[in-house]
Amino acid sequence: MHPFSRRSLLKTGAAFAASFAAPSLVRAAPKEIVIGGPAGAAKYFNADLFPVLEKKLDCKVLYEGTNSLTNLQKMQADKASPKISVVIMDDPVMLPAAAEGLITKMSSSAIPNLGKLVDDAVHQDGLWANYQKPWVGIAYSTKRMKTPPVSWTELWDAKYDSKIVIPSLSNTEGFWTLLAAAHLETGKPFKEAQYEIDAGFKKIKSLKANLLNVYTNAPQAINLLEQGEAWMIGGQFSAYTLIRKADGSPVDLAIPKDGGFSMPSGIAKVAGGPAGDLADAVIDFYLSPEAQTILAKTAFIAPTSKATPLPAGYPDPASLFAPDWAFIAKNRAGWVDRWSKEMT
Amino acid sequence: MTDAVLPAPIVKPAPDRERLAAFGFVAPSVLIIALVFVLPLALLLGVSVLDAKGGVTSAHYVRLLGTPYYLGVIWNSLRLGLLTTLIAFLISYPAAFALARARGALRSILLATLFLPLAASVIVKAFAWTILLRSDGLINTVLIALGLIEDPIRMIFTQTALIVGAVNIFLPFMVLPIYAVVAQLDGRYAEAAATLGASPFVVFFRVILPLTLPGIIAGVALVFSLSVSAYVVPTLLIGEKYPTLATTIAKAYLLAREPGFGAAAGVVLLAIAVIVVALSAMLSREPK
Repeated sequence: MHPFSRRSLLKTGAAFAASFAAPSLVRAAPKEIVIGGPAGAAKYFNADLFPVLEKKLDCKVLYEGTNSLTNLQKMQADKASPKISVVIMDDPVMLPAAAEGLITKMSSSAIPNLGKLVDDAVHQDGLWANYQKPWVGIAYSTKRMKTPPVSWTELWDAKYDSKIVIPSLSNTEGFWTLLAAAHLETGKPFKEAQYEIDAGFKKIKSLKANLLNVYTNAPQAINLLEQGEAWMIGGQFSAYTLIRKADGSPVDLAIPKDGGFSMPSGIAKVAGGPAGDLADAVIDFYLSPEAQTILAKTAFIAPTSKATPLPAGYPDPASLFAPDWAFIAKNRAGWVDRWSKEMT
Repeated sequence: MTDAVLPAPIVKPAPDRERLAAFGFVAPSVLIIALVFVLPLALLLGVSVLDAKGGVTSAHYVRLLGTPYYLGVIWNSLRLGLLTTLIAFLISYPAAFALARARGALRSILLATLFLPLAASVIVKAFAWTILLRSDGLINTVLIALGLIEDPIRMIFTQTALIVGAVNIFLPFMVLPIYAVVAQLDGRYAEAAATLGASPFVVFFRVILPLTLPGIIAGVALVFSLSVSAYVVPTLLIGEKYPTLATTIAKAYLLAREPGFGAAAGVVLLAIAVIVVALSAMLSREPK
């Protein structure tokens, strides 16, 4: 081992001093912007979207990919001097971010594409906008299932003893099977069934005999499906399953006849964040037909820009049910506690 | 004070100065441990008795120790720790002797099989177990080929899978300390006992076992504290069906945003581990 020499220490010290004295020298050339978003999207953002964005806006994107709650915590901690300029989170996490004043209102004058989105894509007067709508159905193994599942009740069919995997309610996608269970137990449409969580719990408890596993680690669950050990996973996102299918795995995503769901994901400008003008341009890019076409093709998510055509085979976003996230956010902690007690 | 010490340095090597020097040697490590270990633990203890508004409360402990569900969670952690430790010990003890008696290439191979798995991450090993145990996995295939079973047995996400995986993952931490002691064992003690008429049974229980006790105790303390607090192993090998203190802590912090409750669960877990390690230390100090 080579110990620190006095010279190398002096050099490092000098470099440090210089970087404090003349920060512009160190951060020269392209403008940098920090975008916070989901870890799961990092792969296709980095590979397909950011190269186009960086070229177009002549900037360098630093992507902080982690789960939404962690990004929310970071924003709370850095409220006085935020480091993230643009944040990408699912709608349920946008709600507390909006309530705590962590994101700021966007305007069509700075972000022209904001005015060109489908109905319901802009929330709370422009505090955040949906740039994509992944859909949710039942993922199944094409190796094991000759025909795709047609209804949510199939998960409960006794012939699938120990063949079904569902996400834990701790995961965002854990809510879908509970919602489907509430619908099956009450016989009411999703819109009303979403408030009948007691019925949902009653029904989902009767799924236990069919459960191979309740997962918190999504890659492990998808791995089980790809191997054919699990036959179906209840409540999976198009962006998870169809990417694996495109890679050649024997899996597919079915939208049951009784309905699929949509999980709109939002983009927002961080209140008081750095590089404000660049943040506007980045958000405008995300909402543009150019970016949405890339995302629709590589990540299997329905676009929200009116000018972007829905690729063939994609479900009509209007046919998918989007639940009352404010109600869910308010009750979720209690449900998760109940889930861990009743589902073990 | 200095005058009194200086005249007679040779006869009495100045206990004060010696103590001072000793203190100087340990001071840096004491400081580091205090800073990165004691202080965070003190904070953890503090948080565990605070309610959401910052007032002092025992509610978290009452909830943890007073509800059947959480008592079950504590028992799950204990069970995982105890079973893993017991089975790991039963496998490791003879293995340590085999290792100590082996010579040359065989010994190198045995040591390599023990050390190499340590280089692979726990996650990789847990995934490997799900591949081995699945219905068309190696174990079911072999059992069916041998005619021992007709249909595949459900093995993944069972308690058996959890214990088998945990034993596999933590085994080296039991074998190595026992091996270290067995390798130093003087064979003449056993021979002397036999010469004096002791049966092999008596030689083992009265001579060999007591002499190797320090290694056993070190291994037990290591494996128990690792397995009782394991997070990745139960998460990947059995999932939500088997909640443990470690998974409860993660949920309290990441999901429910109840740092007080999470800290209380952490303190209980720590207390369990400390009790076992302290017991081991007491046992190993006992005169032979």
